[in-house]
This record gives sequence, structure tokens and C-alpha cells, in this order.
Amino acid sequence: MLRKASYLIISATLWLTSCSNDPVNDLSDLDSQVFITNHDKSANFKSFKTFSISDSVTVVQDSRSGTALTSIDRDLLTRIITNMQNLGYTYVAVDKKPDVGLTAARITNTYLNVASNPYSSYWGGYYGGFYGYPGYYTYETSESYWAISMLDLKNADSTAERLNVIWDAQIRGAGLGNQDYIDQMVDSAFGQSTYLSLK
Amino acid sequence: MKKIIIAALLLAGILPAYAQEQAPKLYTLPSPYDRYTHYQVTARYTGAIPVGSFSSNYIDKSSFENYSIALEWVFQNSFSVGGEVGYSFFKKRIPRATYQQSDGSEISAVQTRTLMQYPIQAFANYSFAPKNARVQPYVQLSAGASILDYTLYYGILADQQQKIRPTYGIGVGSKFLFKKDGNFGADIRVKYQGTSYDYDYVDKGVSSVNASVGLFYRWW
Repeated sequence: MLRKASYLIISATLWLTSCSNDPVNDLSDLDSQVFITNHDKSANFKSFKTFSISDSVTVVQDSRSGTALTSIDRDLLTRIITNMQNLGYTYVAVDKKPDVGLTAARITNTYLNVASNPYSSYWGGYYGGFYGYPGYYTYETSESYWAISMLDLKNADSTAERLNVIWDAQIRGAGLGNQDYIDQMVDSAFGQSTYLSLK
Repeated sequence: MKKIIIAALLLAGILPAYAQEQAPKLYTLPSPYDRYTHYQVTARYTGAIPVGSFSSNYIDKSSFENYSIALEWVFQNSFSVGGEVGYSFFKKRIPRATYQQSDGSEISAVQTRTLMQYPIQAFANYSFAPKNARVQPYVQLSAGASILDYTLYYGILADQQQKIRPTYGIGVGSKFLFKKDGNFGADIRVKYQGTSYDYDYVDKGVSSVNASVGLFYRWW
């Protein structure tokens, strides 16, 4: 009887461990979005006055890349221009020697993940074998996100032919391909980077 | 003479009945639960209130996603010992805010803070009432290990850590037998539970006050 009860407890534990849920599946697309921004601490943004922007969006998929200008890409670039102008920068053509240049990219990465089953070591080989719990499992994830970068064209290192990224933003989450969200997404990325303002 | 016969007949009827009353009654023997060490299994549903720095720094929202099952050996004295395994899940959603990171970057996101635990504990109970009392208050000490899953979501991006950490508890409760000498009963318990843990927002362990209602079955 005691042995039976012990198995009951073990079975109940395994049943409980299988009850894991997804705590973020109730998030709306907008609430799921994450805006990550970073900047070069040595950059003096007040010293920049003019900007330009690339005429297309870079598309990166795993190790391949190219450019595109779909309707949603155009909306994104237009909204970046609006935000920069609102911050006090002047939009100029590329041949007018802008102080900073902006680029945008759509990036899709596919990962093959290997994760250890955290319970396998606890139960040990005996129960692991008995219940067919593998020690490791693999899964593939694919993530797409928008990336916006600001390059310092004014202080370009001409000898090393290198441009410094002085600000970048990543927009991650769900609904990134929804044209209705583009303005709000770009506004959020710029909105949290108050140091960009010339005003 | 007639009266004597009637009296004799009456006595003949009463005396055996009287004699029968003097005979030992089987059902007045102590219950098997008093005489033998027996087993008890208890299933509990728990509401948990976070306390201490776990509440102030990470999740202060009560959780109603907690379950446990315990197997207990009840001794003839006032003690019982056993094991309990459980599942508990804390979650709190924080509206969109911007978080400064140590590398100087800013993250704007809706945070979903979660903490999941599978505590596996040994416990000892001291009961203040006999085994067949309808109400049996007890105190409990427990210790063991907890499989912990700390997952902090920024939007849908997750920062996760899984660890096995020591856990302990102290509680008071009472069992309520549905029927005298019966097998089934209810259990209520209030317990403080602490788990040692230090990661990110949680720097002084995970602690909560858990109030549970349960059902038990006992056998011998």
C-alpha cells in the first residue's frame, strides 16, 4: 500500500510539472512589443544638425541580405523622418553632407535551440527511463524584428573607412508586419531616447 | 401464583438483556486509528500571499494557482511525518514602462513577472487532539528543496533562470473528520514558506504566507 502511495505522489508530481502555461499568450500585439534603444555615451547629439536616410530597407534573413522598399518599408522610413524633424534635425539629401545618417533593417533569425530538461537531473536515470523523460530537447525558433541605426557621418573615420553607430533601436514582438502599428512603433523607439532631442 | 409467573417471565426477559449489557462491546474498543500507525494522503488547494522583499521587489500579487499533495505516516503518539510535493505559480503584469539597463540601454516593455515553484518537502506535524477527535489542530515544520523557475518577460522576450534551492516552512492547521472514526476529512492550514534564492529582482529569497484547504483520506 505504501509503495502504491509513493507512486501516486510521483505520478502527481509529473502531472503537475506538465501543467506549465504560457504567461504572455494574453498580451495584445502592441503590449507584446519591446523597444530596445542604446546610444554611444561619447556622442554629442547637440553637435548634429542635419540628417539623411537610406532610400530602402535592408532585409537580413539569417546569413543572407538584400534591400527592399515595400509599402510598409516606405511608411517606416517616412515616420523616421518625421520623428527626426520633430526632434529638431533638418532633413537633407545624401549629397548635402548630412551630419548623421539613418538606416533601417528587417531582420529574421532562425535559431536551433537545445535546452536541458530541468527535471531530468532531479529524477535521475531511473525515473527518467521509466517515464521516457529525455534529458535534452531541441526546438527551433524564428524571430523577426526591426532595427534602426543612426550613423555619425560628421566624424567619420576616413582612414579606417568606418562609421560609428551612435544610436540604435530594436523593435521586437508581435504584429511587426502590421502597417497600422508602424507609426506608433517608430514613435515609441524615438520617444524613449530623449537625449536625441536638439530642442 | 399467577403474579409470580408474570414476574418470572418479566425477569426472564430483562435479565438476559441486562447480562448482555455487561458483555464487552466490540465497538467500544479503541479505533484502529488510535491503535495503529496509519497513513494519510491530503490534497490541498492554496492561496498564497507574497511577503518580504519578494513582495516588495518582484511580485506582490496573491496567487491562486497552487496545489499540493502530501503523504503522511501518523504515529500512535501525537506526531506524524511525511512528504509533500506542490506546484505554485506567481504572476504579475506591469504596464508599459522604460527600464534603464546596466549597459546604458533603455528597454520599453510590458513586464510579465513570473515565478514557478515545485516544492518537495519532508514535514513533521504535532497534533493537539486524539486521532478520532472531529477537530484536530496541529503545528507543522517542513524542509526540503524547491525546483524554481524565474522567468521575467519583457513583452514576449524572456529572461529565465531555473534552479533547485532549499526551502522550508512553518505552519498551523487543523484536520476535520467528516465522521467519527471515518476515513475522510477536511484540512485547513496556514503556512509560511521560504525558499532561498538570489537572482535579478529577487535578492532575498522567495517567501509567502499560504492558506490552504484540502481533503484527506486515511487508512491503516
